[in-house]
Formats: sequence, C-alpha cells, structure tokens
Amino acid sequence: MAWTEKIIQALKNWDTSLIAYVPDISIHQVTSLIESDPFFHLVSATREEEAIGIAVGSYAVGKNAAVFMQSSGFGNSVNALASLCIPARTPIPMFVNLRGGPGEFNIAQVPMGRTTRPIMDLLGLVHFTLEDEYKMDTLVDGALKLCHANRQPVAICLTQMLHGGKLA
Amino acid sequence: MLRLEATRQILDQAEQRAIVANLGPTSDELWHAGHRDRNFYTYGSMGLCSSIALGMALSTQEQVISLDGDGSLLMNLGTIATIGREQPKNLIVVVWDNEQWAQTGNQSSHTAYGTDLDQVARSCGIDNTTVVDNLEELKSVFGKALMEDGPWFIVAKIQEGENLPVAPVEPEFTLYRFRASFKDESCTT
Repeated sequence: MAWTEKIIQALKNWDTSLIAYVPDISIHQVTSLIESDPFFHLVSATREEEAIGIAVGSYAVGKNAAVFMQSSGFGNSVNALASLCIPARTPIPMFVNLRGGPGEFNIAQVPMGRTTRPIMDLLGLVHFTLEDEYKMDTLVDGALKLCHANRQPVAICLTQMLHGGKLA
Repeated sequence: MLRLEATRQILDQAEQRAIVANLGPTSDELWHAGHRDRNFYTYGSMGLCSSIALGMALSTQEQVISLDGDGSLLMNLGTIATIGREQPKNLIVVVWDNEQWAQTGNQSSHTAYGTDLDQVARSCGIDNTTVVDNLEELKSVFGKALMEDGPWFIVAKIQEGENLPVAPVEPEFTLYRFRASFKDESCTT
C-alpha cells in the first residue's frame, strides 16, 4: 500500500470524513485521492485557520474532521489552535507538509518549516514526523487514536524524504 | 436596534436550531438572552465564527445560524468565499454590524468607510443577502431564511448597548454540551 493509501485508510478507520485543507503540491498526492473518494467531503479553505474552524464545527455536530496544510499554513493556524482547539479540547488530526528539510530549495520556506515543530512543542501538541513508510500505517492509525483519546489536535508531519517534495 | 434585543429576536425564532456566536459581547448577550445546549459560544479565534458554523452546516442536515460581527468577519473574508463555493443550504449567517471594534475602544471598522459586506457576500455567489436596521425587518427576513434554502447572509446594523457581565468562560464544556445535543440525531457518523 502506498503512503498515500495508508493515510486514507487511517482516516477511514477513524471515521474521519470531512477534510478541510489549503492546497499544497506535495499533499496533493493525498488530497486528490480524497477528492475522488465518495467517503470524504473535501472542503477547500482560503486560509489554514479557516480550515481549523471548519473542522471544529464538523466535530461539534458529531462528524470527525481532519485538516491538511503546509508548514507555512501552520503558522497561519496558531491562534486558532491556541484559542479554540486546545481550550475546547478538540481532536483534530493535522497533516502538515513540513518544508525546510533536506531538499528544500526556497529560503523563504525554511524559517517557518524549521519552527513548526518547536511551536507545536510550546503549545503542548503531540506530533510525529514521517521520513519514510516504515510502520507508517501503525503510526498514523495510532496517532489518530491518541488524538481522540487525548481530545487535542495531533500533527503528522510529512517530509520530502517521504513524498518526494516540490522540486525547484 | 440594540444587539441584545436583536439577539433575543433571533433566539425566539431559532427554536432548537444551533447558534454559533462570535466572541465577546455577542456570546455574552446570547448567554444572557437564553442559555441553551445548542448555543456554541466562542472565547477566542476571532474571525472563525462563520467558519465554525460552515463546518457544522456541512456535517449536519439541520439549520445552523452564525452570529458574526463586522470586525471579526473582516479578519476572515475568505470564509464568505468558501460559503459561496460550498453553498450549504442550511447555513444562515447574521452579521451584527456596528461599524466599529467596540471592545477595543470603539475604533471605526471598515464598514463605516464604505465596505459593504452584503455586496461582498453577493459577489461570492451568495444570492440570499440583505441588510436590515430594525427589529421588524430582522424578524421578517430571518423568518424567511428559516423557511427557504440558503445560504443566507443577513447584515444587521446594530447599536451597542450596556456591557453585560461576561458569561462563564467554559470552552470545553461548551463544545461537549453542544456536541451531545447532536448525538443520535441527524449526523451521518
């Protein structure tokens, strides 16, 4: 099973059908599958914090939701996480394409990419980073289980080592 | 019209429908007007009130009402475009437009300088839009919105009243109380 399919399967395992996202060329490998799968409702947001709000609304009426974004968009999401998800204890899985690692070509993507996980640590958010597909199905499924058990957002960071990234 | 009396009007007509309230006095006044399980108060995340309501509307068959504010919505105009793109029939956005940021010192907002949120919504593909400035008009158009498919976008020009005591700040309790009211009802999962 390809890494993209493992994410799709984990989302289905946890009955997570509303996916709010801001497009990204690397996560497009997953979101294009989501878009063509009738199990899901893929909602295109204009900004990542909006995607967080949409996901929280979905969870609030009983339907699990996840978000997809790039690390730059995580920067746009910090207040939504800090003042909505965390105090309301909302389990939103976040799939974050982590820029700024090996293979990065764009200096402007490095600072936010490198500070994404430290900011998650400061917020007290659990995060996992995928460099390859080793035990990936177990990890992603377990991350979603933890997300719901802890009733807090969990981030699964996807790297260029995993998905091939955006080439200059 | 005062926002508090307008809130009472909405609450009276909404019956058991879900209401999401913008942070600050909009949430406080909703609590004082009539606390109930299906009030979703917000305490931060300024700008996301109608995004939260949109997420709800996309995941339930029931009607969802957003009580947003001009200053907050100006932080996230993109969500009007997303509502226009998704066209949820069960979403009613009411914008309390006092043309100012009342909580930070009554600074004039952009709607005092010509920004027309009604036209923004219309240009985003939301056909059912209107502007009201008195209780009778609000009652009439909101009643119509409850009966006809949306999305609806109602700009209600309001005045600030006296600040009421801050309602209890309970984000986790608010979410899970609200969520419990949707269990085993129209949700598909």
